Amino acid sequence: MDVLLDESNRQAYLSGFTWILLLTLVSAVFSLVLGVILAAMRVSPIPVLRWAGSMWVQLFRNTPLTLIIFFCYFGLFSTLGFKVSNNITVNNFWLGVVGLSVYTAAFVCEAIRAGINSVPAGQAEAARAIGLTFSQSLTMIVLPQAIRTTIAPLGSTLIALCKNTTIVGTIGVIEASTVMKDLINSNGDAVIEVFIMFAGTFAVVLIPTGYLFNWMSRRWAVKT
Amino acid sequence: MPTTRRFAVATTVIAICTMTVLTACSGGSSSSSGQGIIEKAKTTGTLTIGVKSDQPGLSLKTGDNYEGFDINIAKILAKGLGVEAENIQWKTTVSINREPFIEQGVVDLVVATYTINDKRKNVVSFGGPYYVAGQALLVDKDSPIAAPGQMDGQVACSVVGSSSASNMEKSYPNVQLQLFDSYSKCVTALSGSGVQAVTTDNIILAGYAAQPHNVGKFKIPGEPFTTEPYGVGLKKSDVAGCNKVNEILAASAADGSYKAAYEQALGDSGLPFTPLDTSLLTNCPKGV
Amino acid sequence: MTGQPLIRLENVDKHYGALHVLQDINLEIPQGQVVVLLGPSGSGKSTLCRTINRLESIDSGTIYFDGTPIPAEGKQLAHLRSEVGMVFQSFNLFAHKTILENVMLGPQKVLKEKKSDVEPRARLLLERVGVQAQADKYPSQLSGGQQQRVAIARALAMEPKAMLFDEPTSALDPEMVGEVLDVMTSLARDGMTMIVVTHEMGFARHAADRVIFMADGQIIEDAEPDQFFTNPGTDRAKDFLSRILTH
Repeated sequence: MDVLLDESNRQAYLSGFTWILLLTLVSAVFSLVLGVILAAMRVSPIPVLRWAGSMWVQLFRNTPLTLIIFFCYFGLFSTLGFKVSNNITVNNFWLGVVGLSVYTAAFVCEAIRAGINSVPAGQAEAARAIGLTFSQSLTMIVLPQAIRTTIAPLGSTLIALCKNTTIVGTIGVIEASTVMKDLINSNGDAVIEVFIMFAGTFAVVLIPTGYLFNWMSRRWAVKT
Repeated sequence: MPTTRRFAVATTVIAICTMTVLTACSGGSSSSSGQGIIEKAKTTGTLTIGVKSDQPGLSLKTGDNYEGFDINIAKILAKGLGVEAENIQWKTTVSINREPFIEQGVVDLVVATYTINDKRKNVVSFGGPYYVAGQALLVDKDSPIAAPGQMDGQVACSVVGSSSASNMEKSYPNVQLQLFDSYSKCVTALSGSGVQAVTTDNIILAGYAAQPHNVGKFKIPGEPFTTEPYGVGLKKSDVAGCNKVNEILAASAADGSYKAAYEQALGDSGLPFTPLDTSLLTNCPKGV
Repeated sequence: MTGQPLIRLENVDKHYGALHVLQDINLEIPQGQVVVLLGPSGSGKSTLCRTINRLESIDSGTIYFDGTPIPAEGKQLAHLRSEVGMVFQSFNLFAHKTILENVMLGPQKVLKEKKSDVEPRARLLLERVGVQAQADKYPSQLSGGQQQRVAIARALAMEPKAMLFDEPTSALDPEMVGEVLDVMTSLARDGMTMIVVTHEMGFARHAADRVIFMADGQIIEDAEPDQFFTNPGTDRAKDFLSRILTH
């Protein structure tokens, strides 16, 4: 257990999980916003938007995240020169956020679209019949009802996102899994302890998250 | 010591476990327990040599074939011990299992970008150094950068957890570090706009620079800023073998085969050949 | 009123795939008229009703509302819909909003009226349809009849120029049909222009000004209720009536 008591190792552990937390939270916000927009496109009355939304989902849902993150660094940044900051760590963080968000948004979109489909068609018809525009009926009538059946799948998506943030380690953000590999390499005698500590931290945070989302979906489901 | 230890974990666990068991049982039955490399070569006509498999220009495995400067050195040593090249058994090692492999007799010799240091000398003997490497920079051929001190605010690339990375971090805190899990990604990034230099041992950089698709694109400017003498690892007790290795190395420097070994593997790299300094061949254990 | 009909359909055609659901429909409805659409199921009467606020699109022809052709989409269409109230067979009250919110939503969000102006009117409308006591409940807590009356109040809150009823009592338990028809009858008396798709012959006979009988996507008969019920002009209408009335 000496590995875990070492001050610099503890710093590395904390900073690793801080990156995980930041990547998760920032990407969650972006992918939620993007996912809602994509879902709106996919149910919109305009064929071009429906097509574009559907292409996005097919493209990113079926591409391994590792490739997307890799492309964000080597394609977007290294080749095309897309840059957010001159600080390489900050820049890599945002490249990671871009990759995670475009990927996760595809899943958010499908969760929300499934939710929208679970709302009876008559609700949208009634909304249109009193003169609400497409976006009004979507935001005021359909989405608030869709969100209830969407909570649980969104929870799963968030948990997947949190675990997926470790892939950003491959472009140089020293997140928890990279820290873990490094600690294991330099402490060959404490492999099990190090592994349990890192995997355990994920479990301790993510298991309650899953329960929280299930609880919310049950609580909100009763009202209608 | 350039450490690319990432696939090492499982192997290490196994190696360490095995080592513990062997030590506990005082594994005297090991084939090469009391035998040095000289006798082994003489009696069996074969040698098992531990090498890396993933370092272009030094020791790269493609299919069943190993190629590079380390491999050429290993062949010179085998020849000097009377073993034909086709009778060498190659064994892939990674940084972290080199000592265990030598101690357990899994390999007879290790030629694997193996930096000589005192900590390791407690466990194994080192012939050589057959090359004195040092941490350096690989930059674009038109880059004005000649030393890490000129890189304030710019980006150097290295491998997560490597001593090159931590050395850079400590000695040049104003240089930003991009970390990947392999040097090949660093070299790819160097072609783009995000990375201005790749840093690790000069000869490893030279290996990447000498790859056919990289020839002429990069250079290794300035002097190395650390010293990494690469040795040939063998059993601590095999003093005669160790001295023999030095003898063969000195002979190869004299007859030109050492230079040929370098030119064949790294001639295109842009890192000029340095003659072997035979005065440094003093690392073998004294006495016996 | 002055010559120009409130609703006018000119050569309206619509297909569902191979099915020709509306065949060259021509129809004029003056303001204040109460029109009942009758016909066997599949005759196109519901479709016709829904084309008037463009919940169903049409393939060809033109529909005029208050003198202007119905726009195909966008803000103009939304504006047109705000002038035409619609009551559905399955009520379609917004499930996540209270009764009062259901009634107030349109005026606030479409007509951009202030909440303080809308609320008294909404409560008055709920009182008029007899569900003022349920104002703060959610739709699922109300009976079908109550929900349908709220749906009428919701449509009326927009102060529409005409009201469309698409089988408003078909999904109701029999004992609740009367309360909804009573509200509709009183609306008719107050001079609302109404198009009602229904099987309630009593309502058609007593509250309607005009009966249109459809079959196979065509208007077969267009008559005053008395004449239609006592002396239908076609065999198909006779056949339809005999089956409905003896039932």
